[in-house]
Amino acid sequence: MQLFPCPFCGPRDEREFHFAAEAGKTRPDTTGAVSEADWAAYLYDRRNDKGRVREVWMHLPCREVFVMERDSVSMEVLGTTAFRKAGA
Amino acid sequence: MRDDSRKWDAPPDDSQPLTGMGMTVARVWPTRQLLISAPDVLARMPGAGWPDVVTGAPYTLCLRRDRVLEVDGPAREEGWDGVQAVTDVSDAYAVFRIEGPQALALCRRGTEVSLARPSRSVARQMFGLSAFLYPWENEERFCLHVPRAHAQALWQMLAAHMGQMQRSA
Amino acid sequence: MTGRRTESGGLIDRGTTLRFRFDGRAYTGHPGDTLASALLANGVRVLGRSFKYHRPRGVWGAWFDDPNAIFDVALEGNEIPNCPATTTPLVEGMEARVVNAWPSARRDVKGGLDLLHRWLGAGFYYKTFIWPDWHLFEPSIRRMAGLGALDGKEIPDYVADQIHDACDLLVVGGGAAGLAAARAAAEAGQDVVLVEDHPELGGGLYRSGESVEGKARAEWVTEQGATIAKNGGRILTGTTAFGVYDHGLVGLATERGFARAPRLTRMRARRVVMATGALDRPMTFADNDRPGVMSLQAAAEYLTRYGVLVGRRIAVLSNNSAGEAAIEALRAAGAEVTEADPGAGPIRALGGKRLSGVRMGEKRLECDTLLVSSGLTPVVHLWRHAGGKLDWSDEKSAFVPGAAPQGMMAIGAANGTFDLEPALAEARAAALGKPAAPTGNSYSIRPLWPEPGTKGRQWIDFQHDVTLKDVELAARENYISVEHLKRYTTLGMAGDQGKTSNMAGLAAMAAIQGKPIPEVGTTTFRPPFVPVPLELYHGARRGQLLNPLKRLVLEPQHRQAGAALGEYGGWLRPGWYGPKPADQAVRDEVLMARKTAGIFDGSPLGKIEVMGPDAEAFVNFIYYNTIATLQPGHIRYGFMLTESGAIYDDGVIARLGPERFVISCSSAHVDGVEAMLESWRQDGNDPDRLFVHDATQHWATVTVTGPKAREIVGALGLPLDLTRAAFPHMTLRESDFAGSPLRVARVSFTGDVSFELSLRATKAADLWTALIDAGAQHDAGPIGIEALSVLRAEKGFIVVGKDTDGETMPQDLGFGIPRLKKKSAFVGDRGLHTEAANDPNRRQLVGLTAPEGSPTLPTGAHLVTGDRPRSEGIITSSYFSPTLDRPIALALLERGAARQGETVTVWHMGQVRTATVAPPCALDPEGGRLDA
Repeated sequence: MQLFPCPFCGPRDEREFHFAAEAGKTRPDTTGAVSEADWAAYLYDRRNDKGRVREVWMHLPCREVFVMERDSVSMEVLGTTAFRKAGA
Repeated sequence: MRDDSRKWDAPPDDSQPLTGMGMTVARVWPTRQLLISAPDVLARMPGAGWPDVVTGAPYTLCLRRDRVLEVDGPAREEGWDGVQAVTDVSDAYAVFRIEGPQALALCRRGTEVSLARPSRSVARQMFGLSAFLYPWENEERFCLHVPRAHAQALWQMLAAHMGQMQRSA
Repeated sequence: MTGRRTESGGLIDRGTTLRFRFDGRAYTGHPGDTLASALLANGVRVLGRSFKYHRPRGVWGAWFDDPNAIFDVALEGNEIPNCPATTTPLVEGMEARVVNAWPSARRDVKGGLDLLHRWLGAGFYYKTFIWPDWHLFEPSIRRMAGLGALDGKEIPDYVADQIHDACDLLVVGGGAAGLAAARAAAEAGQDVVLVEDHPELGGGLYRSGESVEGKARAEWVTEQGATIAKNGGRILTGTTAFGVYDHGLVGLATERGFARAPRLTRMRARRVVMATGALDRPMTFADNDRPGVMSLQAAAEYLTRYGVLVGRRIAVLSNNSAGEAAIEALRAAGAEVTEADPGAGPIRALGGKRLSGVRMGEKRLECDTLLVSSGLTPVVHLWRHAGGKLDWSDEKSAFVPGAAPQGMMAIGAANGTFDLEPALAEARAAALGKPAAPTGNSYSIRPLWPEPGTKGRQWIDFQHDVTLKDVELAARENYISVEHLKRYTTLGMAGDQGKTSNMAGLAAMAAIQGKPIPEVGTTTFRPPFVPVPLELYHGARRGQLLNPLKRLVLEPQHRQAGAALGEYGGWLRPGWYGPKPADQAVRDEVLMARKTAGIFDGSPLGKIEVMGPDAEAFVNFIYYNTIATLQPGHIRYGFMLTESGAIYDDGVIARLGPERFVISCSSAHVDGVEAMLESWRQDGNDPDRLFVHDATQHWATVTVTGPKAREIVGALGLPLDLTRAAFPHMTLRESDFAGSPLRVARVSFTGDVSFELSLRATKAADLWTALIDAGAQHDAGPIGIEALSVLRAEKGFIVVGKDTDGETMPQDLGFGIPRLKKKSAFVGDRGLHTEAANDPNRRQLVGLTAPEGSPTLPTGAHLVTGDRPRSEGIITSSYFSPTLDRPIALALLERGAARQGETVTVWHMGQVRTATVAPPCALDPEGGRLDA
């Protein structure tokens, strides 16, 4: 069981967290035209990197949405930032 | 269509505390619980984090970056008043007190928690349930709020763990 | 009789005698014995039968390294299958029975299977039982396979105690190195936990024959333990660290006695020091599995820990220097010990159930016991669990810990440091997180590995009966990766998990391929290190606590009214009321609700408040429907979509004020909707101008629905005008009931006049009672969720997830306008205009009618067309409608909206019927009842 540092609460058991998405995606502006390819990329494309990854997680008890950088091989957590500040 | 009534115990009598191992677990009924959210709410009412010891009434618990739970405070207008959002949740959370030298040990069965590891929020998962956990009056007394609909689950879980502590003592 | 109890020595309590039985015969032992040591002391040699060939087996090891002696053990009416004899402490009155043999280990009727060994090699099952069908053979093979048997009885209170704990330093292993490390760390002020799997500390020290740092062994051990405790360190004996998980979490299993579940400690350690020792590995030669062939280290362990001399005429085959002390001790205990050279020619063990000697080339040596060691293998399982690397040491002819996992160090024999003094120095350095200065090494070894192509049946894996020939066969058939070798031959599987077999197996594969051992590599090490009962992971979360349901505040009232309770969307809710058979009760409730009124507990319905200056824009973004135009006091029905455009939830939203909304999502979806709202709030919106409060469980909701609803609610005497004009459908009023705020909403899930009354939960019983009393005046009463399901289906109202699937979009249900007209962005908007979303053949919601007099259509049935039938849709809801006195159904059907009146074929489990496509709403399509 991993320990994830919630930017607000500090380290907590991984069972308190929910994976949301890979970080770095921006929702296309749907009030204008969005091509099929762009929408499909937004919905479905995943990098699924081995090694260093940036991901969006939610800490369920405090509902903090944040970006976590970690290593998907060694499971080392490199850092977390509140989403509202990271803006990623 | 299946009648599963017998698979689920009728609600227990939680007016009498659970006792054992020098501990008591009692359900308590705060007169009021209010959720208060605002961008600056922690600056105005910081609220207790873990393991801040809460004393007296009213008191506030820090739940989130922008949210506290005010317990036994004054009545407040609900809704958004331009400064903060307020909702009465007095009956949304069932509240329990666990007292005794083994109280923390009992809590630790439900979550990886230690007095040596502080946390800004009192919200956490315990025994697989959402909970607010904090010391109350001293470090041998703990208060635990869970969503009301899980009060029975928590009560049964605490009874089961107290039984186990007794058997392995 | 070969083994015997020595006159003195060991850690057993000779003053007390314990009686027990094995395979029906009576024996005695002492406290401190294991079942294996007690049986050896009684001269019993055959302690098991092998898995496949039913070969007689003795013990190879003395602790977790024995693959052979596995018993079903009963005590005081409780029976535990598959107990390893070498690690099960002896208790007065135990009844042990060997597994995989009948009537006893000595005389096993299936012993003859060994004669067929030529035809039973690796892959035998896969190749043989193909024709005509594996399933024909499977039952009898399954009966023959397997080890112990469950007696089917539950052991009372067999519940694992599960606790969380934390420490600065966890030392695994209470031998010399572990004790030294734990002491040094405790004295340095660290919060230390030392775990040792034996009941007592000391580890391999007892068999080393040395004094330690000028003190007698026992005295030194006691002193270390006392000093650790004095400095605040904690010592857990009888505790196995069975797995290392992420971020310093170590699983500890503590034995609590026979037929009691072990305790699970989830230990979070900042640092872990692994002092798990090293094991003697078996030697690969012909008939190396005979009872009486034993590990040299184990023989020393039996002698020094249990006071058992395993044989009288002992031959020792060893290629290394580690066993010298053991040989001395065996001689001192009175055994006649002959050392022989394992390199002197092909070796073969002689004799059957009784070992009579050993042949080495031309030379023959008489003996009753053959002790072998082909080198020490550090116990590196935990190291590998944590992701540590292994290095091959030519000098030690073994894999030793290499690059360390985060926060972990290895010391002593586990680190390949087999000499005592350097191990202690290493331990004391590791306690402070430092590496030790390199030292000399007195351990010497002459490599000795399996030789492919040599004669005789040479066992590699004793537990699964895998021989050198099986490895050769696997290599011939190209299963050369060690992971493939393992799966093909089953080498290294089962309880042993390769502790005795791994090195020989991969060395054999290396030799076959002419590769060095490190190039072949090892298989993956996975927890648990030793077998643990599944109960360890289970704990108190069982029965009602496995997945506890949410409970209604009105449950006592429902129980009193004779409700049949069941799980509906995570809540325990009344399905129907009263003692009548379910079908009849539901039918009566539907008819009552249509004739007078039904009173329904709708408390789980969501009450999620969205507040703040951006609340309006936010809910307008979250909903498919336009919400911005909703006026305070009004309610709107709408959908929430996923970004792909599929319906995620439906429900109503009410506006309480300009900057305050209440989302009444469906009962099973409250947690999910709240989390979804919160993620959108923090992603792409300004979280300082928008707040989401879930107040669902503050409220209880009672719905009164039916032609008499207005009269029944009117009887409460609320300060509220309930007339149609003053309080129209889809509006909300805030009122008061007995001094508490009451919300009354006019929404309808039945098509009849309905009032939804929400009050704080602790006051709900009064409201319920008042409504039931008022209802009784009109022959109205409570209805359960089953009746509600029928009532809504009569109206064609959907349940998301039942009448929709992961592809259903609003336009498929006849709600196509926002998709075309809504200008502002909303969740899922672009997803509603993909090629799939525009497909004219989409499945659309329809109703179905069955021919007169036919029974209810089966839910889940396919609607098919064509000579080679293709499914064009599926029946999602189907009931008998008491109101209409005929079956009704809802279905998703390709182009359904345009196919009204068409007859379709209904296919279900091979049976074919017909139905006619109709509008979803079967009752009161004009909606006259709603405002009656």
